[in-house]
Amino acid sequence: MRQVEITGVGRTCSEEKWSRGLVDLAVEAAGFALADAGGKAEPTALVVSNAYGGALGDQRNLAAFLATRLGLGAVETHSVSADEASGGSAVRLGLALVQSGLHEAVMVVGAEKTSDALPDRLEAVRATGLDAVREAGFGFGPAVASGLGMQRYIEAHGVDRALFYHLARTAHHHAALNRLAFFSWELNEKQYLGSPTIAHPLTVCDQAPACDGAAALILGKPTGDGPRIAGSSSVSAPTGIGGPIESLELPAASRSARDALARAGMTIGDMSLAELHDSSSFIAALSIEAVGLAEKGAALHAAARDDFVIGGRCPLWTFGGLKARGSAPGAAGVYQIVEAAMQVSGRVRSNAVEGASAAFVQCLGSFGATAVSHVIVAG
Amino acid sequence: MQIARAWRQQPSNLRLVGSRCPKCEALLFPERIRCERCGETELEAYAFGGLGKVFSHSQVHEAPCGFESQVPYVAALVRLDEGPLVATMLADVDPEEVRVGMEVEMVTRRILVQGDDGPITYAYKFAPVLKGI
Repeated sequence: MRQVEITGVGRTCSEEKWSRGLVDLAVEAAGFALADAGGKAEPTALVVSNAYGGALGDQRNLAAFLATRLGLGAVETHSVSADEASGGSAVRLGLALVQSGLHEAVMVVGAEKTSDALPDRLEAVRATGLDAVREAGFGFGPAVASGLGMQRYIEAHGVDRALFYHLARTAHHHAALNRLAFFSWELNEKQYLGSPTIAHPLTVCDQAPACDGAAALILGKPTGDGPRIAGSSSVSAPTGIGGPIESLELPAASRSARDALARAGMTIGDMSLAELHDSSSFIAALSIEAVGLAEKGAALHAAARDDFVIGGRCPLWTFGGLKARGSAPGAAGVYQIVEAAMQVSGRVRSNAVEGASAAFVQCLGSFGATAVSHVIVAG
Repeated sequence: MQIARAWRQQPSNLRLVGSRCPKCEALLFPERIRCERCGETELEAYAFGGLGKVFSHSQVHEAPCGFESQVPYVAALVRLDEGPLVATMLADVDPEEVRVGMEVEMVTRRILVQGDDGPITYAYKFAPVLKGI
């Protein structure tokens, strides 16, 4: 695969940012990325991801409005929406625009504004990322689906529910080192086990908290020593919550990971770290197993052994992941790549993975039906 | 729009009507206009028998907007005797008594009330099979 360089990155704090609207969040992150890129090639195209804005009555065709606010003049724009995989999809489109030679430099921005909506309204919109008629229309949302999945995972693999704690613990441990994280604190087992139930056995601490946030990066042809995208793949497998719950597998995640790594000429074992999609404990466990970081049914045991903590076998969620950095769904995939790029270029301080040279990144939409993977390597 | 949607879904919501593919004999729920397995477009309406078993279940304490009044409710995947998995709520059952493999049958219940002036959607839920009456 022709590699593409990430020439600039930026991200906002993950929080409930009452003073900023959706477009302003995107403007802020884009400004950071432009400043980070310095005098390198000005982007002539803009790809923007957002998952819920239109459904929540916020700005649609966000890319065109962002281009105006950035003063980019007349440029090519695309607004991308693919549920929680939106960010990854946007980066993949930006990558294609550069690789194809259509543009020398493309900016990708992911933005989400969740705190303007009341929680039950937000959950109803999130639910339409599942089958809007047959699942969301019958009281099922991602949390309910993950509750069903956790119950099945526990029964099928014979694990104790308390073992899921180690996934959240790992994410929080890293977020505690990230000053821009939404939940920048350690999570202890008592807090985890005592948290309120959403959909038994899934509790508040098994679910990534929705927050506001935006992240941005600029892609260009390799000219310097910046981090590069060495592999990319997007796969959608059959939709429906029944598949992952019955099989306890995420076929799209497996296939997408395999394809992206093959295009980079690498294996998951070559990765210094991975940023996976931990929207819930259930999805996190399945994604770890799907990409080959643990055998089927073994993700929780691996987390309990500290395999995924910085310093462990393959650190995950090194800035806190969706679980603790915070989940700005339409921006999540861009955050992940920004964070991976920072790790492999040695720009991280307290939560650094020392000597990181390659990172695997994957975001998922519609309960794992859509998976977008990227491999980020040092320049 | 919501009224048209409710009207459009009446056969599947009230009579568990799905589709049967005459070419590959796939049974699909809900209705489809193209077979997901072989691509056939001339599908037949097929009314499922309404019997099945609980495949997975979860008691829901925090519900999406529109379902709050039913909390706590039991969400389940039910494996119909004919094969498809259906995402549904369970009715007329003590949540503590729900078990994987429990035999259930389709019942018609109120699913969603959209405000004081909006349509009331009735559709399927599943309840333990009544025996010995």
